[in-house]
Amino acid sequence: MLDTVNAGPAQKSAQLGWTGVVRFLHLAPRAFLPMRAAEAVTLVAGKGIEGDRYMIGNEEGFYSHKPEEGRQVTLFELETLAALKRDAGIELGPEEHRRNVTVEGVPLNHLVGRRFWLGETLLEATRLSVPCRHIEEITGKAIFDPLINRSGLNCRILQGGIVRVGDIVLNAA
Amino acid sequence: MKARPITTVKTIVASIEEVGAGTKLFNLVDPDHWELPPFRPGAHIDLHLPNGLVRTYSLCNAPADNKRYVIAVKREAEGRGGSRALHDDVRVGDVIGVSLPRGGLEPDATITRHVFVAGGIGVTPFLSMALHLEATAQADFALHLIVREEVPLAAHLASLIDQGRVVVHRTSRTGRPDLAQLVGEGGSQTLVACCGPESMTCEFEQVTAAWPAANVHIERFVAPPPVIDPDAKPFTLSLARTGTEIQVRAGQTMLAALQEGGVEIATSCCGGICGACKVGWLEGKPVHRDRILSPYERERYLMVCVAGSDGERLVLDL
Repeated sequence: MLDTVNAGPAQKSAQLGWTGVVRFLHLAPRAFLPMRAAEAVTLVAGKGIEGDRYMIGNEEGFYSHKPEEGRQVTLFELETLAALKRDAGIELGPEEHRRNVTVEGVPLNHLVGRRFWLGETLLEATRLSVPCRHIEEITGKAIFDPLINRSGLNCRILQGGIVRVGDIVLNAA
Repeated sequence: MKARPITTVKTIVASIEEVGAGTKLFNLVDPDHWELPPFRPGAHIDLHLPNGLVRTYSLCNAPADNKRYVIAVKREAEGRGGSRALHDDVRVGDVIGVSLPRGGLEPDATITRHVFVAGGIGVTPFLSMALHLEATAQADFALHLIVREEVPLAAHLASLIDQGRVVVHRTSRTGRPDLAQLVGEGGSQTLVACCGPESMTCEFEQVTAAWPAANVHIERFVAPPPVIDPDAKPFTLSLARTGTEIQVRAGQTMLAALQEGGVEIATSCCGGICGACKVGWLEGKPVHRDRILSPYERERYLMVCVAGSDGERLVLDL
């Protein structure tokens, strides 16, 4: 029998069935601009990602006229990109979905209301992201329908820090 | 919080250069010199000018030159005001909102030869295409530039003229060239394109009438009327609470008509799935195209981003 009392975070997360990895990081300072890849980004608790368009207090995003405290950082599943290609024949790159963090091995749709570690930072998932026509306008790809129910996760940052490509993602429950 | 949604790409005028023939070149960049939204060779953008005018100009730089949008604007004293505003009022450092780029040369591996025919300032999209084709060596090209006397963007075209890839035809000296001769014989591997005044594009259209449509590209200075769905019909929105009537043009969304009429509507996905723009309706026959309202809800609500009307009048609870 597993020792759940003395297990470390990695073991606890594994017991819950998943351990993920940060595969890509992207940000952009203003609406419409291409997302730029980064090897590391700085998450500020209660605010957002340094230099990103949805950093609270310095918002210049397409949806910034609709303030949302729980949209400090956004995540997307690498597996969805593979599914888009498999199911809809659409090649979508990690820089095109316009979420900040592309993760692998993380069941994002199951995390609403839960806390999890993204590298050294602690996030709380606030809601599922929904697809929008804005992404179709920017990418020129018909991805609205294929992304229904799998267009990522919005989170608030409880504990800030630096997130790097390759960092581990763990359940903090 | 921003009071209004951001609807344009924010650019700053980084430099303005006189390039001959009454033409100025404007370099537009992001405030942080971030990469700008990508574009195809010869694409165009709308400029939202400080005086409220919205005008469309072709980009004349190559897509790989991705941190700026370069437009060349000839001052038209008798024009509709866009070029005068840019020439007379816009200064280095001014902020100009622009649309996402549209149009331009579609990548097509089967095309091995391009023949471009430009009239005067109509050279701008072809300069972008020529720079792109020269840099990528994807396909051969020839650009015939027809001018009365003075060549716009002469310094920018100089090396291509020296290479013989741009041929200048001065009508003041040699008369108007025979377009049929310039474009030569058609073929599935040749793409011909023309941008210039109406008389030139009409003649070009006649000369290439027998060509496959996919191999002919024509850009006009004045945009042709938008293509409207033949089944779409205009209708009237009646706003019950304010007593306002708003006309929805054939093919226009209810949302766009309401926004034009100054009605503030919350929106988000604009595809009928998020529910942000849900509005009550009271009379009429709405056509529901959303993906979330239940049959019961549809008896009371609609999504203005995608819904239409099956009647001439629809009453909304606004």
